[in-house]
Amino acid sequence: MLTQSSINIIKVAGELDIARREEVRLALQVDGPGQGILVDFVEVTYTDSTIIAEVLRFYKDAHAAGRRIAILIESPRFERILQYAGLSGVFPIFKDRAQALSYLMQEGA
Amino acid sequence: MNNCELRINRVATLECARPLRHALGAFLSALEVDSVLCEDVLTAVGEALANVLEHAYKGRESGIVELYAREGDKKKLFVTVRDHGEYIVRDENPGRGFGLPIVRAIAQSVRVNSTGGTHVQMTFDTTKSSAVLQLTLAEMMRQS
Repeated sequence: MLTQSSINIIKVAGELDIARREEVRLALQVDGPGQGILVDFVEVTYTDSTIIAEVLRFYKDAHAAGRRIAILIESPRFERILQYAGLSGVFPIFKDRAQALSYLMQEGA
Repeated sequence: MNNCELRINRVATLECARPLRHALGAFLSALEVDSVLCEDVLTAVGEALANVLEHAYKGRESGIVELYAREGDKKKLFVTVRDHGEYIVRDENPGRGFGLPIVRAIAQSVRVNSTGGTHVQMTFDTTKSSAVLQLTLAEMMRQS
């Protein structure tokens, strides 16, 4: 059974644009099979499509490794850019940390 | 507030997008643009800037990126992002290519001119959060 302490947490903050793409790419790495991963974007204030592309690549890598991810956000801005990019509903997005952790701890996560 | 203009030229480094967005954000605040639309305009313009920084001067000496914004009649906002580099027809990197669709989803109209570099001319309706409304309507139509 997974516990909260067994979940990996990746936290990124600030304005995420093309200047920080490499930093985000390095942060969003899947190190093989394992537990769920919480991507904490609560303190992210801006995202451009170069970062969305990295999140998409990370999501595919995690899926291929059999790992579940949850993206935690606070501002609706991130969801809007996904809508505009035609990626609405692709990522599991949560505004509540407890719900995100619960999702990651579900059976099969 | 008509006839207010913002015009900034910067060397096209990866780091220049952030201060350009901030300058545009201050300009939009001065125009009292709705906060959600302000965020969306910054998102759209940020995509045009990212495209310049990623592609326009790739493999060559870095050039200038120009940001121009003005409020027009009937509550229109015109924003142009211009470079003097190479025009990219499409993004061939896997997982990329979201930029222009995002711009088109937000702006009321978009014109791309590739003569002597690339001009991306965007028009926004500042009377409402039109992009959000258009998306909502589009989703409703898809679901019906």
